[in-house]
Amino acid sequence: MHPGIAPDSTGIGLRAPHYRELLERRSPLAFLEVHSENYFCAGGAPLAWLERFRASYALSLHGVGLSLGSADPLDERHLGKLDALVRRFEPALVSEHLCWSSVGARHANDLLPLPYTEEALDHVVERIERVQERLARRILVENVSSYLEFAHSTIAEWDFVAEAARRSGCGLLLDVNNIWVNSVNHGFDARRYLASIDAHAVGEIHLAGFERSGELLLDTHGARVSADVWALYAAALARIGARPTLVEWDSAIPPLDVLLDEARIARSHLARTASVLAPVA
Amino acid sequence: MPSLARTQSELLDAILDGRAAMASAGLQAYRRNVNAAWSGALVAAYPVVRRLVGEAFFAEAVARHAAANPSRSGDLHEYGEPFASFLEVYGPARTLAYLPDVARLEWACHQSYHAADAPPFDLKALRGVTAESLGEIRFILHPATHLLRSSHPVVAIWEANQPERDGKPARREGPDHVVVRREALEVRVERIAAAEWRLLAGFGSGAGLQAASEALAAGDAERILRTSLARFVSDGVICGFAMPAGGS
Repeated sequence: MHPGIAPDSTGIGLRAPHYRELLERRSPLAFLEVHSENYFCAGGAPLAWLERFRASYALSLHGVGLSLGSADPLDERHLGKLDALVRRFEPALVSEHLCWSSVGARHANDLLPLPYTEEALDHVVERIERVQERLARRILVENVSSYLEFAHSTIAEWDFVAEAARRSGCGLLLDVNNIWVNSVNHGFDARRYLASIDAHAVGEIHLAGFERSGELLLDTHGARVSADVWALYAAALARIGARPTLVEWDSAIPPLDVLLDEARIARSHLARTASVLAPVA
Repeated sequence: MPSLARTQSELLDAILDGRAAMASAGLQAYRRNVNAAWSGALVAAYPVVRRLVGEAFFAEAVARHAAANPSRSGDLHEYGEPFASFLEVYGPARTLAYLPDVARLEWACHQSYHAADAPPFDLKALRGVTAESLGEIRFILHPATHLLRSSHPVVAIWEANQPERDGKPARREGPDHVVVRREALEVRVERIAAAEWRLLAGFGSGAGLQAASEALAAGDAERILRTSLARFVSDGVICGFAMPAGGS
């Protein structure tokens, strides 16, 4: 865990509609998380904004486009831009997703699930290692939500996630909402998932809202955190200990106060956890 | 067991293929996500084109464009450059002859917004240039400066379709010589004189002051060098200069 972010602290995803207000008022947030790619530009307003925020908050760079699990060669140009951004802003946390987004040089710009096989595990572990080598730091890798499964998967998702972290030495960004969404979509026990995760590997927790579409829960980041996910979060904290927790909201972005209220609820959970569990270093 | 590469190719084909709409709810969800990501990028980059053609027309054009131009980057800000060339050959847009140039102007604005920063012009350094070598001086355009020209009144169209405007262009005729520049991180679009544009285009292709000025009519040259050049420096269109190797 980064010395700059206490385990019982909270953050929100920084999105353009909140830039001005968040600079003008004080907030109890300890960190802000941005999508790394939104700051891949050579210069201009986005980087100028980020410079202003870094003066008041620790930063978390959260990548959505590296396509870690792709069978294509690792995109060195993309990685080079991420590396430059990490060097410039010295973020407290750097994370990516345990997924793929592109193949055959076509990019879906979405987080697509991997088949949970030995081949995919070997491949993604090697790629995480290369990214960590290039950035000269440990990264966190996030479990993704998914709307389909591969019939030829041979490993349970939770074992795949845990094993990817164990073998590569990366940390985990545990997205509790994604665990819940997948447990409903694919019919497994979310608490069984939590039980397989190595507490020491977890460097950050994500919370967000989902929306239902027919049989599927969709991870839209467009609603408040559901009661089920708060309950799963409490279970995660009880098992893992307090971890920096981030509230994400990406579609139909509400007023800043709504996000700050979600972060406040997370802090109350964290405070209860911190009092019963010593933080894990 | 299918290889990882094959699994991924087949899934991406299924998602991008319109027939996925007939397939499982999961595939449909991914297809909606991809569409939303790609069209969101074009909505952000081409607000004026969207306003000109209306939401339904724009959505259809974006979908057709996507079928021929999948994203190639994990950075969505890079998606959408071929949209202007697409509009040129897109049948339903054929009667809107100005539309591709409006799209080009918007892409230039998009690039300008994200372009590198540059330190302000160092006027003191300019004093060190001797009178004899003045013609050799190579002015450098700011990374956020873009030049375009169109036979249509694209600047008037662009201005009239900013959010607070009523959509009625102040001019109905081109041609427009356009400079896109950045001031205090905001993108500005300006129509400039053809002669000014030719001078800047000369600088943009690396010509020295003398060579770039030769593109100007004799009557224009003095006035433009006296007034426009200073304006381009103070507006940040030009951010610096260089002397050719071996020069002073």
